[in-house]
Amino acid sequence: MYNKYLELFGIEVSDLQRLINIALEEGGDYADLYFEHSISNELALRDGEVNAAGSHIDYGVGIRVLSGDQTGYAYSEITTMPQMEKAARTAARIATSASGSYIPPQNITLLQGNNRYPIIKGWEQTTVTDKIPYLNRLNTLVFDADSRVVKVMARISDSITKILFYNSLGETYADLRPMVSVTCNCVMQDGGKIESGGTSRSFRSGFEMIDDRLIDTIAEEVISKTAFLFGAKQPKGGEMQVVMGSGSSGILLHEAVGHAFEADFNRKGTSIFSDMMGKQVCHNSINIIDDGTIKGNRGAVNYDDEGIPGQKTYLVKDGILNSYLHDRISASYYNTAPTGNGRRESFRYMPLPRMRATYMESGNLPEEELIASVKNGIYADNFSNGQVQIGAGDFTFFVKSGYLIENGKLTQPIKDINIIGNGPQALKDIIAVADNNTIDNSTWTCGKEQYCPVSCGMPSVLVNKLTVGGSN
Amino acid sequence: MMENNILNNRQEKELAKEALEISLKNGAEHARVTLNMGMQNAFAVLDGKLDRLHMANDRSLYIQLYSKGRYGVFSTNRMERDELEYFIKQSIAATTLLAEDKCRTLPEKSLYFKGECEDLGQFDPTVLTLSPDTKKEIAFNAYNEIEGKSKLLISANTEYGDYLDYQYMIDSQSFEGESLQSGFTISAECSVKGRSDARPEAWWYDSTMQFSDFHPQGCGTVALERALAKLSPKKIKSGRYRMIVENSCASRLLSPIISALNGDSIQQNNSFLLNKLGQKVFPEHLNLIDTPHLKGMSGSRYFDAEGIATKDLQIIGSGVVNTYFINTYYANKMGVRATVEGPSVPSFSTEGYENQYRNLTLAEMIKIVGDGIFVTGFNGGNCNGTTGDFSYGIEGFLIKNGEIAHPIREMNITGNMISLWNTLLFTGNDARRCTRWQVPSLAFECADFTGL
Repeated sequence: MYNKYLELFGIEVSDLQRLINIALEEGGDYADLYFEHSISNELALRDGEVNAAGSHIDYGVGIRVLSGDQTGYAYSEITTMPQMEKAARTAARIATSASGSYIPPQNITLLQGNNRYPIIKGWEQTTVTDKIPYLNRLNTLVFDADSRVVKVMARISDSITKILFYNSLGETYADLRPMVSVTCNCVMQDGGKIESGGTSRSFRSGFEMIDDRLIDTIAEEVISKTAFLFGAKQPKGGEMQVVMGSGSSGILLHEAVGHAFEADFNRKGTSIFSDMMGKQVCHNSINIIDDGTIKGNRGAVNYDDEGIPGQKTYLVKDGILNSYLHDRISASYYNTAPTGNGRRESFRYMPLPRMRATYMESGNLPEEELIASVKNGIYADNFSNGQVQIGAGDFTFFVKSGYLIENGKLTQPIKDINIIGNGPQALKDIIAVADNNTIDNSTWTCGKEQYCPVSCGMPSVLVNKLTVGGSN
Repeated sequence: MMENNILNNRQEKELAKEALEISLKNGAEHARVTLNMGMQNAFAVLDGKLDRLHMANDRSLYIQLYSKGRYGVFSTNRMERDELEYFIKQSIAATTLLAEDKCRTLPEKSLYFKGECEDLGQFDPTVLTLSPDTKKEIAFNAYNEIEGKSKLLISANTEYGDYLDYQYMIDSQSFEGESLQSGFTISAECSVKGRSDARPEAWWYDSTMQFSDFHPQGCGTVALERALAKLSPKKIKSGRYRMIVENSCASRLLSPIISALNGDSIQQNNSFLLNKLGQKVFPEHLNLIDTPHLKGMSGSRYFDAEGIATKDLQIIGSGVVNTYFINTYYANKMGVRATVEGPSVPSFSTEGYENQYRNLTLAEMIKIVGDGIFVTGFNGGNCNGTTGDFSYGIEGFLIKNGEIAHPIREMNITGNMISLWNTLLFTGNDARRCTRWQVPSLAFECADFTGL
């Protein structure tokens, strides 16, 4: 594969090293080249017909130079040597020492061995005709399931990204990264009331991931989520106990913990967790992980975008803050090893510490026990988006649906409320963890400066106090 | 230099024309080709050191194909002719496999933008000549406004950025249009030491299309002042409060209305403004207009993404919904006439207000409101586009006796968009010129806040 990628980008290993030499001419400490060729396709169903398709090609190389913790970055969409040399010289300008003292590596190390997204049926061999029946099936299933359905929109998006990486240490790899997402939204009308709902699945995989079983699951889910909303309402708000259902409530970890543990924020001292390494941040039974090794997961990486192997990183171990999420810059600052979290949206962006799949390990209580212990609170099990203020620690997530908990029982369905809390306090306030950790495979995308596919997971947990939006 | 390529773009424009020809020769009855070219530069300073230098040039072709009543949209940044021809042929082949959809057509020709018009003042050649040293100096000057000004400062970063964007659009009904925009931006962000482990942070930015209008001074100072103002926030009691939403974030409340007016939402029965055209939904004094030909504004344009001519428009007049934004596809689906696909420079007119409320500064608004909450930022949350129900996290300040009392934390506002807008008291005179949507500070009679 490696030689094929050299051919794809029209370059030889000697050229790669020549570009690195140019990039470090001004005295930079480290440089890398990130070649990318991506083809993405989408196919959409609307009003009962698969009637829109798209394909998009993106191609180019990003050249990064590090000088201490300073970064020079330039990219070119044309991979001829003169264009790339120009980009390398631009990136080189970040360094300010009179001349470079870079000694090229004697040996080239080909990074290989990880295979976290094997492909059985490649997207390049899959046609529109192969995909259409699945969208039609989805449409039929949703309309047949409930007479209140008035509209269905469904979409299959797939992509293949070919990466060729080379750095000033002589480390190089080629990586083929697939991605597929199936999304479905429906609108239901019941008398004069209209509700809409949606669901999705996304994996790093080939076409083999799409089968009737997946389509059936998505159809059932979109129907149940939308139908649920007719009986739901926004609750009375205020501070209360919250049981977060397993799966997509991992957004709590992503917002409240994950971002604040990204080492670029901590390096600058702007995260509320900046001075907490090695300290107890929650109950000692809790372990929180960011993991790039889950096969086929949306956040899986064989190697990150700066040549570090994808790995499993304990952010919190036995309740103690164990590790930040590092890229090369922050790892160097903290004098520790990078954790494989240097990720980027495309060759147009420089890598930053980014999450992969962030989840909490299971505890040992049944979920029912958590619910039964709450006198007045809510149970939330379906989420759409979240946000965090890194410094203040205030995080939010939006609850699409859930229930009131009254005297230990799920009662009134609820919907469309924002929950807000403070990260360190919310971690301390997790007072029970269930035995049902689930990774949520929806199309989660993190938007920290640039977009990056991620996933999250969580067992059901009981948080002692969060502020729930609602009427007064 | 790429800069010259953007201005001397004959080769790329020829390629766009060729792409149109290739599409038509290979089976598409109609096509639209859009060439996008761009250049960006950024110099970022972190804690007194140049942190990041970023330079980028982009170009791509975006091709919409209408083949045998079928529709596909394709894009590539691979601009070699042979490769492009192969890509278009493959794209047409894929498109013909789709279901027929006769609503997919180019716009009615009479709606197109035609002819020469006055320059919108969106391009300043200074963007091509400003030296890297000057750019760096602007970023450092902003940083110097922050450094040493507070013992509580933890970290500050500032950034100067500029861009040049060019767009050229042609279609098979002989539409041809182009636009060229430059921009100059300064931004600053800082974190300060708060109570306990908290590190309140704040940012500020300014942006113009003409360098002569660009006044980066003060950006760093404002960011620091905003961060320091957030020290020692208190969570307050849940309740119904009067609310002022600052101009810096007020577009968050307009955005759900614009989305609900969009043809996609309307045609899919997925809008809380469905079947509301011509109806009085909002208060009498709510007048929302679109003025797409204002000079030097980043949202100004003579034509939309389909080539349809823009014009002054009353979106909401005296509380009545006067227009949906319906592109050709949804117009065909719904059997109505197409409009522009979205607003360009929407703003609020104060013609419905009594004289004393027509030209209010933010300070005057706070005085008049007396007691309430001043929202300066939203923290997450969402709005259900079908029902208009919303719930957002907020940050801001308690207003007491017409003055800012103290910052607040960990609070939500929840309600319904139509109900909230029906409590609109008045709008300010402070829409920021650097934003595409000209949304000023907004005052509402009541909103449901949850806190303690």
